[in-house]
Amino acid sequence: MFFKKKKKVKNQSQHDQPKKNKQQLTEEIDWQLAKLEKADGNERIEVLNKLGSLYFELHEFDKAIEYYETSISENKTLGKAFTDLTKLYNIKRKEATVENDKEKVQGYLQKSDELMKLTKDSIRGRV
Amino acid sequence: MGIIDFIIDSVLTQASITIALIAFIGLLLQRKDFGEVMSGSFKTMLGFLVLSAGASIIVNSLIYFGKIFSEGFGMQGIVPSIEAINGQAMNDLGLGNQIAITFLAIFVVNIILARFTKWKYIFLTGQAILWMATMTTVFGSVAGFSGISLILMGGLVGGFFAVAMPAIAQPIVRKITGTNEIALGHFCTIGYVFAAGISKVIGKGSKSTEDIKFPKGLGFLSDTYLSVAFVMIPLYMITAAFAGASFGAELSGDVNYLVYAFLQAVEFVVGVYVLLAGVRLLLAEIVPAFRGIALKVVPDAKPALDCPVLFPYAPNAVTAGFVTTTIGTVIAMFVLPWFGLAMILPGMLTNFFAGGTAGIFMNAVGGRRGVLFGGIAHGFFITLLPALLVPHFNSFGFVNTTATDVDTVGAALVFQWIISPIMSLFS
Repeated sequence: MFFKKKKKVKNQSQHDQPKKNKQQLTEEIDWQLAKLEKADGNERIEVLNKLGSLYFELHEFDKAIEYYETSISENKTLGKAFTDLTKLYNIKRKEATVENDKEKVQGYLQKSDELMKLTKDSIRGRV
Repeated sequence: MGIIDFIIDSVLTQASITIALIAFIGLLLQRKDFGEVMSGSFKTMLGFLVLSAGASIIVNSLIYFGKIFSEGFGMQGIVPSIEAINGQAMNDLGLGNQIAITFLAIFVVNIILARFTKWKYIFLTGQAILWMATMTTVFGSVAGFSGISLILMGGLVGGFFAVAMPAIAQPIVRKITGTNEIALGHFCTIGYVFAAGISKVIGKGSKSTEDIKFPKGLGFLSDTYLSVAFVMIPLYMITAAFAGASFGAELSGDVNYLVYAFLQAVEFVVGVYVLLAGVRLLLAEIVPAFRGIALKVVPDAKPALDCPVLFPYAPNAVTAGFVTTTIGTVIAMFVLPWFGLAMILPGMLTNFFAGGTAGIFMNAVGGRRGVLFGGIAHGFFITLLPALLVPHFNSFGFVNTTATDVDTVGAALVFQWIISPIMSLFS
């Protein structure tokens, strides 16, 4: 009985946050891109991270990396940009392994190393 | 024949040359051009020599500290530093060659296990594998292994740890990261799992550390070298004061004995800095070469990355874990001598990285309360295990130091408690 209850709650929470379809994601991206042109300071970082996240959801990994890397180059506060970038570099490294592209494999491993170094420096307050 | 003998007896016995040759092979396998192969190999050799220089600085400082500590307190004070253990093993004990080849053997065993078992973890933290190779080589040679058997045994034990540690951490890592694609490759994992266990029991229902605002004043502690200095300088100076001016002056010559103690503490920090710079240079060419191969052989591998991979998930937990772990190490420093164990001084490098990562583990399962109590228990635990090794390190000729990174201590205990008794049965 308890199990049934739990399942229902889970279903409900999934219902609360339905997965966005491709069109919705594209529309939201367009809206965020328009917002990015005028945004500055913290708002700009938020928009950049949002774009990274939306492109990640859309499986456009190169674009996601581009926006997250821009976000980190402008603001080194630890958060989703760092955690998603680690995942994205790993996905791209895997793709490169399948394609047998050694240079790309090393490139993404290198990027991952640099991100971890930046994480260390960020937490030490050196950047 | 004379030339071959010369190469085997005089050239290949030099660890710096063997290590450069390993890098040379790795770079050739990557089909790098001639210039890159030569410069990469040379840099690797340079890295080994820088590491050796750092080790000498650390040992000199530790010899001084050992003398004033014995005079001041009538007992041995042990500085936990895996860097110092590695430096002494590679240079003073002449195990550089064996450690370098065991390092490779661990990589190979890791790849084989990941390829043929369900544990698909490839351990990518080169520095941690070097520490593991150091410990398995030291304790393997004491257990009676030598030559190829020493390297094979070290490779098997180290390779097993390289897949088993990411595997036992993975359930909590998955909870923290929300993905199963990335793993943790840091040889302090036994401590993380222990701390998480305590945290889960004590911290049930406690709020996350990420809602706390930490004072900015704690920021300087997260600078690892500053935090080492923050502990070592008072320790050296207080110890020198207890040893007394006349004894201190015997060692310090014309320099005031307290000023000399201060400078020796700074020398220790400089030694760690130089040694780690050497390690980075040493591994910069070897690791990319072999991890490229590993990820090709095991295409569905889960890369086990260094501990900072988790820091962005809970930065406050890193600071909280560091502080509570340090409290635990200070308590252990005073408590362990009551039980006949050595006095282990807090190792701030480990406290930061292992304590910080443990903080993230503890926060994930037990929130703030879990981090507080689990962290203190973690600090005690990561001091107790190295304390068990002190008599062995003393008998092997290490100067006033013991290992950190509890998984490497675990591997050493596997040799001491399991493999050594079995070996003695056969001999």
